[in-house]
Amino acid sequence: MIALESVSKRYGSKTIIHEVSFQVGKGEIVGFLGPNGAGKTTTMRMIAGFTTATSGRVTVGGFDMATQNAEAARSIGYLPEHPPLYDVLDVSTFLRFVAKAKGVPRDEIAANIERVIAACRLEAVVRREIYKLSKGYRQRVGLAQALLGKPQVLLLDEPTAGLDPGQIQETREVIRAFGENHAVLLSTHILHEVTLICQRVAIIHDGRLLAIDSPAGLRQASEQTNSVSLEVSAPADALRDALLSIAGVNAVTVRPTAGRDLLQRVECQVDAQEGIEARIARAVAGPWQLHRLERHQPTLENIFLRYVGQGAQQKEAA
Amino acid sequence: MNGVLAIYVKEIITYFRSPIAYFVVAVFLLGTGYFFVYNIFLTGIGTMDQTFQNMGVLLLTVMPVLTMRLFSAEYSARTMELLTTLPLKAWQIVLGKYLGAVTMLLLMTVATGINLIPLYLYGNPETSTILSGYIGFVLLGMACLAVGQFFSALTQNQIVAALITVPVLLSFWFIGHLRSFQPTLFLQSLFTYLSFALHFGDFIRGLVRSEAVSFYLIVSAIALTLNTSYLQWRR
Repeated sequence: MIALESVSKRYGSKTIIHEVSFQVGKGEIVGFLGPNGAGKTTTMRMIAGFTTATSGRVTVGGFDMATQNAEAARSIGYLPEHPPLYDVLDVSTFLRFVAKAKGVPRDEIAANIERVIAACRLEAVVRREIYKLSKGYRQRVGLAQALLGKPQVLLLDEPTAGLDPGQIQETREVIRAFGENHAVLLSTHILHEVTLICQRVAIIHDGRLLAIDSPAGLRQASEQTNSVSLEVSAPADALRDALLSIAGVNAVTVRPTAGRDLLQRVECQVDAQEGIEARIARAVAGPWQLHRLERHQPTLENIFLRYVGQGAQQKEAA
Repeated sequence: MNGVLAIYVKEIITYFRSPIAYFVVAVFLLGTGYFFVYNIFLTGIGTMDQTFQNMGVLLLTVMPVLTMRLFSAEYSARTMELLTTLPLKAWQIVLGKYLGAVTMLLLMTVATGINLIPLYLYGNPETSTILSGYIGFVLLGMACLAVGQFFSALTQNQIVAALITVPVLLSFWFIGHLRSFQPTLFLQSLFTYLSFALHFGDFIRGLVRSEAVSFYLIVSAIALTLNTSYLQWRR
C-alpha cells in the first residue's frame, strides 16, 4: 500500500532524508522508530503528500504522491505530529468538515462521524469547541479525523503523545483493530509501543533507514548481546569445559568469587535460540550446585541504541 | 465542487465564530454611516457620489483585516497540513476561501443599504447610479479580497499579511494620480488602466463599462491564480 523507493529530501543544501526505501503492506502495522529530529515527521509528510520528495518516488495505493496526491489522499488517513484542529469549531462541526472534504457521500456522513466518535471515545465532547479540550481529547479528535472516510492507509505521527495510560491502551486497540485489514505506519519513540502493536519496525536516524525487520528479527540479528550469566559452586576448569560442550554456547568467562570457595561467576555468550538457558541449567545443576541463572535478552532499547550508535559511526566515517 | 463547498462552509462558520469578522463589519458600517451622514446632511446634496468614494477607500483598509487570517492562520495553527493532505486540489482551497470572503463582503454591502432609507425618504436619488455604484463597490471589494488572500498565503503572520496588503491596495488606488507625470503616452495609459480609483469612478458616475468590470475580474483572477500556484509550489 505504501512504497518508498530511494526517497531523499533536501532543503537547500541540507539533506534531511537519504535514499530511504521501504514498503508497508495491507494488514500490516509498521513502527517508525527514531530519536527526535531523525526524519520521521518529514518522511510521514512526504507519504501524506504535505511535501514532495526531492528525488525518489513515494506511492500510496499505486498513486504517485508527487503528481496524484489529491487522488491518493482519498485512501490516506493522516494524523500529523501536532493534531491539526480548528479551535473555534466544535468537534462535530470539525469532523463534518473533514468528512465533506474527504468526499464522504452526504447520506453516509452522519454514520461515519458516529463511528469515529465511538472508536475514539469522543461522546462526551461532541458539542464542545475544540479550544476547550484537553490535550488527550485533542489528540483523539486528531485520530478521529484520520479515521473518517474509508482510508486504506493510516499514517500516525506519535498517536499516543499526551494521552494518559488508559487512553493509550484504548488508542492502541483502535490502531490494532484498524491494522488488521489496512496498512498502518506509526511513528513513535516509545519502544514498548512498537513491541506491543507493530509487526515490523523501521529504525531511522539522521535521515537514514538503518534497519527494518520484525521486533523478534531485530533481536535475533543482535546475537552478540545475548548472554546467560550464572553462579555455580564448581571447579573453574571443569565448569568451563562443560559449558563449552553445550551446542549454542560460544564463549565462557569464569571469575572466582573472593572469599567463598569454588563459587564461580560465569558469563556465557550464546546463540539467540530458544531453550538455551534450560540446557545450560541441566548441564550444570547435575554435577554441581547452581545458585543463580539469568538469560539476558537484548531489549528493543539496546537494539535501537546500538543501531543509532552505528548510524552515527557510519556518518562520521562518511 | 464538493471540496470547494466544504471549505466555503468551514470559512463561513469560522467568520461567525471569531470576533474579528464582527469587528470588521462594525467598523466598516460605522465608517460608512459617518461618511453618509457627513456627505448628505452637511452638504445637502442627495447623491451617493462622495459616499461611494469614501466607502472605496475605507474598503481598501478594511478588506485586508478580513483576508489576513485566510492562510496565515492555517499556517500558524498547523491546519495547513490537514488541508494539504485532504483530497482537495489547491484551487479548491483557494476558491472556497475566496467565496467565503466574498460572502462577507456581500453581507457588508447589503448592510450599508440602511443608508438608502433616509435618502429615498427625504430625497430623490437616481437609482441606476446607486446600483452601478454598488456593482463597482462589490467588484472593487472582490479584487481587494483576492489580493489580500494572496498575501495571506505568503506569511504565517496575520499582521504582516495585512501590513503588506494595505499599502499594495492603496498603491493601486492612488496610481492613477501619477498618470499626468508620465513622459510617454504608454505609461500614462498604463497608470490609468491600473488605477482602482479611476475604474471605480466610472461606476460612481453611473457607468458600468465592460472594461472596468473586466479589470476588477482580471485582477481577482490573477491574484487567485498566483495564490493557487504558490500553494502548489510550496509543497
